[in-house]
Amino acid sequence: MIRRRSAAVAAFGAALAFVLPAAFAGSTADPGISATAVVIGGTSPLTGPAASYASVARGANAYFQFVNSRGGVNKRRIEYRIVDDAYNPAQTVQAVRRLVEQDRVFAVFNTLGTESNLAIRDYLNQVKVPQLFVASGATTWGRDAAKYPWTIGFQPSYAAEGLVYGQYIARARKQAKVAVLFQNDDYGKDLLASLKLGLGRSGSKVVAAEAYQVTSSDVGSQVAKLKASGANVFCIFATPTFAIQAYVFANRLGWKPLVVNNAVSGTSNIMVLASEGGKNRLVEGTVTTTVLKDPTDPRWKKDAGMKQYRALLAKYAKGANPDDVYHVYGMAVGYETVSLFRRLGATPTRTALMARARSISSAKNPFLLPGVSVKTGKGDNFPIQQGQLQRWTKGRFVAVGGLWTSKRN
Amino acid sequence: MTPREQRIFGFAVFAAFAVIVLVLPQFISDFRARDYAYVGIYLIALLGLNILTGYTGQISLGHGAFMAIGGYTTAILMAGNEQFGGPIPSGMQDIWTLPIAGLVAGLFGLAFGLPALRLSGLYLALATFAIAVAMPSTVKRFEEHTGGGQGIQLFGLPELTGSNAVAPADPNAPATFEVLGLTFTQNDWMYYLAWSIALAAFAGAWLILRGRTGRAFRAVRDSETAAVSSGVSLARYKTLAFGISAAYAGVAGGLFAIASAFVNPDTFPIALSIFLLVGIVVGGLGGLSGLVVGAIFVAFLPLWAQGQDLGSVLPDSVIQGDTVSIPILGDFLFKGTSAPGGPAIVYGIVLILLMFVLPNGVGGLFRRVGQAITNRRYSRSK
Repeated sequence: MIRRRSAAVAAFGAALAFVLPAAFAGSTADPGISATAVVIGGTSPLTGPAASYASVARGANAYFQFVNSRGGVNKRRIEYRIVDDAYNPAQTVQAVRRLVEQDRVFAVFNTLGTESNLAIRDYLNQVKVPQLFVASGATTWGRDAAKYPWTIGFQPSYAAEGLVYGQYIARARKQAKVAVLFQNDDYGKDLLASLKLGLGRSGSKVVAAEAYQVTSSDVGSQVAKLKASGANVFCIFATPTFAIQAYVFANRLGWKPLVVNNAVSGTSNIMVLASEGGKNRLVEGTVTTTVLKDPTDPRWKKDAGMKQYRALLAKYAKGANPDDVYHVYGMAVGYETVSLFRRLGATPTRTALMARARSISSAKNPFLLPGVSVKTGKGDNFPIQQGQLQRWTKGRFVAVGGLWTSKRN
Repeated sequence: MTPREQRIFGFAVFAAFAVIVLVLPQFISDFRARDYAYVGIYLIALLGLNILTGYTGQISLGHGAFMAIGGYTTAILMAGNEQFGGPIPSGMQDIWTLPIAGLVAGLFGLAFGLPALRLSGLYLALATFAIAVAMPSTVKRFEEHTGGGQGIQLFGLPELTGSNAVAPADPNAPATFEVLGLTFTQNDWMYYLAWSIALAAFAGAWLILRGRTGRAFRAVRDSETAAVSSGVSLARYKTLAFGISAAYAGVAGGLFAIASAFVNPDTFPIALSIFLLVGIVVGGLGGLSGLVVGAIFVAFLPLWAQGQDLGSVLPDSVIQGDTVSIPILGDFLFKGTSAPGGPAIVYGIVLILLMFVLPNGVGGLFRRVGQAITNRRYSRSK
């Protein structure tokens, strides 16, 4: 009797052992997830007019390789496929379709550029593939989360950034006349509109604004027109190559305004380039904002996060220039991605990924400035809403005031 | 082979090829079908360019611009340009825009053919190159019609066939929709659309070239003086060749816009015009069958070349500067953040090797093989 019962139990157990894994395997395995790896992918301008941003992807990849060397996330390696789109939205579209339909990535990660991300957003939301931590500060990523539930941004929005510049200029200069160079897309227009909002009725106002196209070769004529407006504040809302040109042209024209440079180009490596080996005095006093620890800042020499940054870069991105702040950005976004995947547990799904991405509370990202937190929640779809104004003084950035926080976006 | 036998053989090969095209999607992944759809699209453009350059002897380095005209015609008719402040409402179904795209580009081609009459050789190449260079700026200049640098988004529009596709329960399976009772995935649909037009374009090109018009084109190519003295009107046939050729490019551009579901000025860069010229040289000037290989070359080689370096993960060495060994040619140093120079070099080397091995393109190879067979039969029958 006893023996028959145990045989029956054994048979039942055996049957269960066969059926159960099959039942689980058939349930909700999203593409890109295997027992040993999670595959994500994104485009980056490895070539073309914005190629200096390629460092972002390199930094993130270095961080993922470090995590993989420690056994990955929940025993899965993170495989990050980086595809070149030359900062051209038409190429982004094709590359992202390839990532989703052929490489079958779990999520599209940190694709760079406002236009590039706009070009793929409808597609990714239709096929329900996460467009995670978009590398662009356009306000639409957070503002239109209800319409595009599969898309989420990362860095402070350009709307918040522009507002901060406006308020700063209104405080710092009475009756300032502001000239603006901006990129002719959502990114440049977001910054310009919110700058005007920040200036408010302070008496300071925008007297001239000139747009340039991403595909144009230089911004010489725009800078000349802006100088002719007689402005005494010059806002550069441009990507690095064009921002450097703006400094060079303005200097050659003998223009000496107070310069406000947007965060995407307001990094120490770009400032050094723009200073033309110290010949260009215009860079001195430039005001910008940041959320990242600057690798050239002696303040972080003994900082644990920046020590790790330098070690990881040296090990997993051989030959990469550690002074390039975009690497720090890449590691910061890589860090948040890894903690997001950790919270997903053993069976990640795309739906769960987006749900977690909309309920982040992370205050200790080692690559972001102390006090800057990454936070999303109900009604808050903007991961980072803080920053630090800083001024370029004698070859390095010096903080101006405390952290600013944007309430709305 | 007698001419009659040759023609029957030609038909047989074409029919066999059409059958291969029909069944190919059964053997490749859904996404590959999209890649091959682009081959069909490039084939249409190459057929047009070869009519102009291979058969009539007029070099065009600006065919990407005619593709852009077609692409923008399609995109504007589908999405309308009221969103930018232009006059055209949205609402035309994608496939109906294609004849119009061909027509508009064809008219531009005819118009360009007239001044081109006064130019020949290198000067014509430069003039056509100028339109390719000017095209992106022109598109941006008329922002209220074209959307400027931001381009026109077509994805998700009801005018795009298949935008109502229903996703199946299995997240790994592609969404499907029905056209005329047949079920398609978006990629399969694009494949069949592109290739049915490409095969029709191929037959059309053959019909144009086999008779009086084709003879006149070849006469113009071989010697303008001789052509004129035998009563061929240079003005008429040169502009006609430009018109037909541009119309082909226009249809290809329209399909390109539909396949990408997005157009902006950089969708049709200057490099595209050069790639097309490379395509007909690889395929064989003055032949049609080799162009299929030319189209595969244009569609896949850049991708393949990129795959050689950028693989699944970014090798920091390539980005940061490293020595790469290439057999026979030695070591090359790639340096600088903006220079994953590998793909371009791989592309260039393959192209050079190909021109050494097949100086008359793939079409030339086909002809040599055909001649070898004929010779053998001839000697045997003796």
